Amino acid sequence: MGNKQTIFTTQQLDAYQDCTYFTRKEILRLFHRYRDLAPQLVPLDYTTGPDVRLPYELIGSMPELKDNPFRQRIAEVFSEDGEGNMTLDDFLDMFSVLSEMAPRDLKAYYAFRIYELALVSFLPLDFNNDDFICKSDLEKTLNRLTRNELTEDEVRMVCEKVIDEADLDNDGRLSLEDFQHMIVRAPDFLSTFHIRI
Amino acid sequence: MAASLIMETIPDGYEDEDLIELAAVGRSHRAVRFDLTHGDREDLEAQHYHEPKHTNTLQRNSWSSSTQRVLSSMPSRSIRWNQTAVLSQNQSRSTKTRRRRRAPNPVSTTSSAATRDVFRERENCADDVTQDEELLNKLQDLPAGESVRLLREMPLSVSKKREIRALCFSWELAQPLSENRALFCHRFQACFLKVLCGCWLGGVSQKKSIQLWQKVLKNISARFGTGILSYFIFLRRLLLYNILFFLINGLFLFLPQISNPPTSSPSPSPSPSPSPSEDEHTVLWMLTGTGFLTDSVMFYGHYTNSTSGNCQAKMCPHNYNIPLAYIFTIGTGMFVTCVMLVYRMSKSFEKSFCTFKNTGNIALKVFCSWDFKVCRKRSVKLQAVNICTQLKEMLSELSCRKKKRNLCSTLGWLSVHLIVWSICLLCIGACMTAVYYFHPYIEKGGPIMVRKNDPVRFLTMPLVVSCISHLLPGFFDKLSKGEDYNSPSVHIYVSILRNLLLKGCIFSVLCYYWLTKINDGETGQKCWETFVGQELYRLVLMDLIVAVLHIILAEFLWGMCIRNLTFRRRKLEFDIARDVLELIYGQTLVWFGVLFSPLLPAVQIGKLFLLFYLKKTSLMTNFQAPRKHWRATEMSTIFVSLLFLPSFIGALMCVIYTMWRIKPSSHCGPFRSLHNMLLLGKQWIMDLGNSNPSLEWLSLAYLHLVDNPLFLFILAGLFLTIIYIHMQVLDGQKLIIGRLQEQIDHEGEDKKFLIAKLQVLNEERALSHEVNIWCFNDRTAKVVVLEDIVMYGNMCSIKSVVMESTVRLYIRLPEEHNEFLKSGEWDHGIVVTDLNPHVTNSELHDYFQKFGTITESDITIDKSSGWPKGVGFVRYSSSEEAEAAKADEPHTLGGFPIWINKIVTPKNRFDTQHRSFQPNLCVN
Repeated sequence: MGNKQTIFTTQQLDAYQDCTYFTRKEILRLFHRYRDLAPQLVPLDYTTGPDVRLPYELIGSMPELKDNPFRQRIAEVFSEDGEGNMTLDDFLDMFSVLSEMAPRDLKAYYAFRIYELALVSFLPLDFNNDDFICKSDLEKTLNRLTRNELTEDEVRMVCEKVIDEADLDNDGRLSLEDFQHMIVRAPDFLSTFHIRI
Repeated sequence: MAASLIMETIPDGYEDEDLIELAAVGRSHRAVRFDLTHGDREDLEAQHYHEPKHTNTLQRNSWSSSTQRVLSSMPSRSIRWNQTAVLSQNQSRSTKTRRRRRAPNPVSTTSSAATRDVFRERENCADDVTQDEELLNKLQDLPAGESVRLLREMPLSVSKKREIRALCFSWELAQPLSENRALFCHRFQACFLKVLCGCWLGGVSQKKSIQLWQKVLKNISARFGTGILSYFIFLRRLLLYNILFFLINGLFLFLPQISNPPTSSPSPSPSPSPSPSEDEHTVLWMLTGTGFLTDSVMFYGHYTNSTSGNCQAKMCPHNYNIPLAYIFTIGTGMFVTCVMLVYRMSKSFEKSFCTFKNTGNIALKVFCSWDFKVCRKRSVKLQAVNICTQLKEMLSELSCRKKKRNLCSTLGWLSVHLIVWSICLLCIGACMTAVYYFHPYIEKGGPIMVRKNDPVRFLTMPLVVSCISHLLPGFFDKLSKGEDYNSPSVHIYVSILRNLLLKGCIFSVLCYYWLTKINDGETGQKCWETFVGQELYRLVLMDLIVAVLHIILAEFLWGMCIRNLTFRRRKLEFDIARDVLELIYGQTLVWFGVLFSPLLPAVQIGKLFLLFYLKKTSLMTNFQAPRKHWRATEMSTIFVSLLFLPSFIGALMCVIYTMWRIKPSSHCGPFRSLHNMLLLGKQWIMDLGNSNPSLEWLSLAYLHLVDNPLFLFILAGLFLTIIYIHMQVLDGQKLIIGRLQEQIDHEGEDKKFLIAKLQVLNEERALSHEVNIWCFNDRTAKVVVLEDIVMYGNMCSIKSVVMESTVRLYIRLPEEHNEFLKSGEWDHGIVVTDLNPHVTNSELHDYFQKFGTITESDITIDKSSGWPKGVGFVRYSSSEEAEAAKADEPHTLGGFPIWINKIVTPKNRFDTQHRSFQPNLCVN
């Protein structure tokens, strides 16, 4: 127990508890999981808040993520630099959102970010405060979901159907609103968008 | 970036300056009028009035951001939207977004509220009101527990959250206790929830893992889709029913009978008498059910009618009335099966109704079906394949709806169907007659001279029946290949119907045959019940044998031939309907036979086990994934209802008829002394009433209620009335639902119409907003007229501006109108906003001096309050210097961040009362 106290200060632990859906114990466990990825990089003393980033290659090699087709996107979405290199904060954030306690809206938001694979960069800056899932994103998502087993025609049809079904405002792409609206009808979303750690 | 253009007229004394906002309300493309409104304190807002136009519309219908804002203010979506707006805007940390965020809603009428907001921000000395601060304000207003919850729900990175939290904490130090308590409460609740959730999830996963053959089924569904999976699930369900039935029978009938062997009764002694001739065929006793099986617990005849008075073992209960147990056990088993079937049916109806009702299931499949928990490589692969097959099923279902025919081909199609149907019906009729006449033919000895008790004689009939029921469906299937069905599910329904007809007919012929034999007393056995039981036993077994043969010959061998000899090298396709019908047929036999042979479910259990493994192996090796995918939610409903309606109800009817109408054989079995089986129950109740006076009411009730047809009629009538009322209520509800749906559709259309209107309006507005004009002037200014602002689509040009007052005019143009600037000579500068009121002109000057030579700088002062408005102007000698100042963002002055925009002012100053400014027409 002694060395646990030296990893985080009480304030830090409190802060983490308030900001994530984890208890003290789980935070420490997650810290150790994080540290086990690269023991030589991560110090055992986090009281001073060292700026340590683990590269994506290490994060992606976790058994929980290793075979997930969306692992890269997950890492990118949750990392602050957008390239999948994660600090401890990002790491905690990721598993907090993917825990069973996270509410539906939060999960839906991040699921949306994950599925929205290509960030919309060609839109004017003014307009990308909301990003969209457009057809190319959907195609990529589908190909990852099915490991490229669908033919191009089928992918196209599925994309059309999905947009047709879920797009409420007829703009040919899915906004966060559309996505959330759709998620409300999915009873098992909460249990599937969940990584047990 | 919008370039700003300042048109300055006479530089009045600052004390006279006032801000006048020119809000564009004109819609016509030709003549744009500007209303002149006083905006005393709205300078800050005016800064942000500029509405960024969504210029390169990628999609035809994309709503501009202003439309979205209006949408957001609509009641139904507002809360959600605002929340997400905050969320999403928190994410983008660009200056641009931050500034836009602070812009009040231009269309809304709540500008006063916005003004108030602005002032509150000011009072907080928060000229740098950033997102965080706004959030902090919001969080601060809430109770601590709530704010923590909100903080957690915000999609920010944890580090950001921690910052916010730190700030929150510093503000809430006044009441740390309450916060801690709230936190503690919250934590407790969270823990509790977590435990609950964990239990539930764990329970669910455990329940799934406990189910039989879970892994195999998963594999099958991944490789072959849910259609074939439904067959195996159906098989598993049948197994469950049989196990249940067997358990009930075994516990209450088999065990008591075993523990109370009928050796004392001399009646079954004749059983060895026919045996001498059978001795040589002992090998076949398993198949025929004859031999020593005849007089075993397997069949009816073995059970005694004693009340176990001669029980040797101490274990056995006294007064165990075997006949009563017999009737009640069978009844209970039937009842339990019935309840389970009905329950299952309702469940699956519900499920199929749900899944077919909502249309958005492809989207859900795509976005919500991936299980992030899955982490093993193999299962991930399996899941991917599974999702892929299911998507294909959905696609095929969607695509098959579209097909259309013309009249000629419709006629052809109909005639083909007619021909196929008539062939099928003929075949069924032929089979019926064949079975009916073949039976007595075999009885009489037939072509081969068989001895009377030769097992071959027993086995021929079941063999024929099983062969018919196995081979004819294959023939039907071949026939139906010629038919062209819209969807695979229709095809399956039709073949189910045909098979059902066939089997039902054969079964009824068999029943009829047995009935005539019973009435004639020609069963050749002491107990006709045992005889029927044996027949059924043989049928069940023979069914299994033929099925196994079919699997070996038609699937393994033929599959191998097809795979290796033909050029196409394709595999067989699984015929779900036929196989399910086989199962249902077998199950019907078992349910019917359970009265005559209480242990028949045990046989069926073994049969199902064997079938499952054989089918699975055969499926894996010989079959390919179906080319046409279709979904099985509906199919499983159909299967269960088929199992219930013709099969179970038919068997139940037969059993009840037998119990009620047919006299049991008088020399053996538990009911040997009775006229019919149901009489036993009556007798028992009467005895109960006689022997035990306290229970006399029971017998009276029985006599007056159950035995009384009038009462039964009334009961049935009541029952029917209730059902009728429920149906009516249901119809009414359906009607209401339909109307509500219609209403929702209409509302949606209304909304769409309104949104489209709004969009058009906003597009026009956005066009007119491309030129935004504000002017500072004294209060005496009356009119500012802009003439001839011509708009061509999204292009804009200013022909001339005529002003009748001493005004300083700002015109902000979007970036693409930079061309406009080339048409005159300009001074370049910047406008500074969000300025700390304490910053003086000299400080401003000093700060911006580092970017270049400042020709002029000033800070506007609010005349009424005497306080600076937080807006300053700096004019540089060259454009590059202003660029440099702009490029050096972010700036901090007086301890707070400030925002700057590049502006230009015309070099030719106006110095008269009436001025006109006339840049050349610009078209970009």
